Amino acid sequence: MPLHDIHYQHWEGVHAGIWVRRWVIAKNGLGACLQNKVLRTLVVLCWAAGLGMVAALFVVSQLLVPDSMVVKWVEQLNPALQMFAGLLTTWLQAHPEISVRTTQNVFFFYGCTLLTPCGIFALGVAMPLLITRDLASSAIVIYSSKAVTRWDYLLGKFCTAFGLLTLMWLGPLCAAWFLGNLLAPDWMFFWHARAALGNLLIYGLSSMCILSVLALGVSAVSSKEKSTPFLWFVWWVLGGFIQPIAANTKPWLRHLSFSYNLEQIRLATFRLGNDVKTAQDNIPILGNMLNGIPKRTMETLNNPGVWGAVAALLLMLAGAALVIRKRVRPE
Amino acid sequence: MASPQTIIETEALSKFYGRQRALDGVTLKVNRGAIGLLGPNGAGKTTLMKCLLQLQPISKGSARLLGREVGREGREIRKRVGYGPEQNCHIPGMAGCEYVTYCAQLSGLPFQAARQRAHEMLDFVGMGQERYRKIETYSTGLKQRAKLAQAIVHDPELVFLDEPTNGLDPKGQAQVLELVQSLWKTYGITVVLSSHMLQDVERVCEQIIIIARGRVLVHDTLENLKARKRGAAEVVLGGGHHELQEACQRRQWPCELLSNGHLKVEHHAESLNPLLNVLRELKLAPLEIIPSPNALEEAFVQALEISHAAA
Repeated sequence: MPLHDIHYQHWEGVHAGIWVRRWVIAKNGLGACLQNKVLRTLVVLCWAAGLGMVAALFVVSQLLVPDSMVVKWVEQLNPALQMFAGLLTTWLQAHPEISVRTTQNVFFFYGCTLLTPCGIFALGVAMPLLITRDLASSAIVIYSSKAVTRWDYLLGKFCTAFGLLTLMWLGPLCAAWFLGNLLAPDWMFFWHARAALGNLLIYGLSSMCILSVLALGVSAVSSKEKSTPFLWFVWWVLGGFIQPIAANTKPWLRHLSFSYNLEQIRLATFRLGNDVKTAQDNIPILGNMLNGIPKRTMETLNNPGVWGAVAALLLMLAGAALVIRKRVRPE
Repeated sequence: MASPQTIIETEALSKFYGRQRALDGVTLKVNRGAIGLLGPNGAGKTTLMKCLLQLQPISKGSARLLGREVGREGREIRKRVGYGPEQNCHIPGMAGCEYVTYCAQLSGLPFQAARQRAHEMLDFVGMGQERYRKIETYSTGLKQRAKLAQAIVHDPELVFLDEPTNGLDPKGQAQVLELVQSLWKTYGITVVLSSHMLQDVERVCEQIIIIARGRVLVHDTLENLKARKRGAAEVVLGGGHHELQEACQRRQWPCELLSNGHLKVEHHAESLNPLLNVLRELKLAPLEIIPSPNALEEAFVQALEISHAAA
């Protein structure tokens, strides 16, 4: 029987727009990532951490309610904790705009500190699924022969990496912010916590963009599935090792680590030094405790090396763009 | 049947890879139909297709596809053009039907339509339950079929197929060629078939472009090429070979018995009438008469010789 006995039908529908086609690339990439067991587990863990933050925010917000269960529970604790909780409660009640802003800023700073490495790790695991495999199988030729350009392809892949990070990092943190404030005893929590959300979004979005482009660059370096994750993890881990060593010898070397640079941006965005000062000024007992923070740490909190970090990250991005430009071609 | 309007137009199209000239001032005007792109390995066939599809940037000159400027409207052009590359270019981790659906979506089909057409095209190329298996596990034949399906899934007006019969057994080759032939003859989709297999091109195509060393040596219809080589025919007989050979000798027509049992007769005439008269005199009923056999091969070899001599 000839093959074409099954008749060919012409299609007369309306073509989807270019953004739909870009979305298809991103969705397909994200779907492939979520088929990976490690990445699925990581996503679940990150959302669990987000829920943990909701619980913590709930507890803190309940300190504002004088006869709440949390306050009663704290009263049963040892005298030192009782006194600390009492002071916090007083502060919260006296200056809710400052206290909510400060506590949530600190909360989300540490949330980002916890989830940034998770995101970096996830990108390492997803590395072959970004560009590497497409290079290995010459799938770039197929993409380029369809109604998408190289830039549409790259935008789709960028959205895959960005989407993965959103799912693991910004998603849980934003959900924690929303639910934490929703469960608070007063709607004003939303208003007072806006700065924390702003910082979270500024840092989260910028660092996710940076990491996504860097990941695409590393993913395009080789067509071998084991090489690109290896390269990514070596860069990350080596950067972590260099950081403390270089601090005392050649501080500029620390900028070779993208995670160090992101940390500087995180410090600059959340301005934790201001929060420490606010806490010292408002809660004397906390002030005494915070006076014990080493001078060098306080200097880092107050004056992070943000310009050096920005310059280093820009150079890294330029490098990634060069790699992508050279490697992501039909031939 | 589609109107015979120009579908590919190039003007002094050149492509350089460093110092190497892959295409050298190619000027073409190709009408709709089944077009055979012939040439030896490294002649520039694939480069020409890639330049037209914008998979490779054009170094010099210009090209228009479906009336649109290549380079400016690449995305719009590729919405209406299909491409089946020579090498395996699957997207890893996907089953055959997912792959073809995805390719349809990349060409702008909404998901539902893409999925439906993917299954239709996989049926069309003769793929059964294998479509639910990962492409990495496919044999060469199945990969070729999947490549064909992805090239036509979005209902293009023009399809470029680069060596679509590579790695197929004779039966698979025949099936794929039959399918390719039907694309133009039955469904009006213009096909550009690149191959170094002359018999494949001869079977499927009406227009021939012979390319060597990056230059177009011949661009004509197969009919005209055959007309240039009139004066010979292959006669398929059930019996009476000896009588015909003797009759030819009497007329001083070179006659040769081929290994396939056919008789090749050089009758030196514009039409087949003198040969038919001889057969009538001998009361021989031929099973088949193939006029101008090997015309394409001869044109191909001749073109290459001219090209070598010019170089």
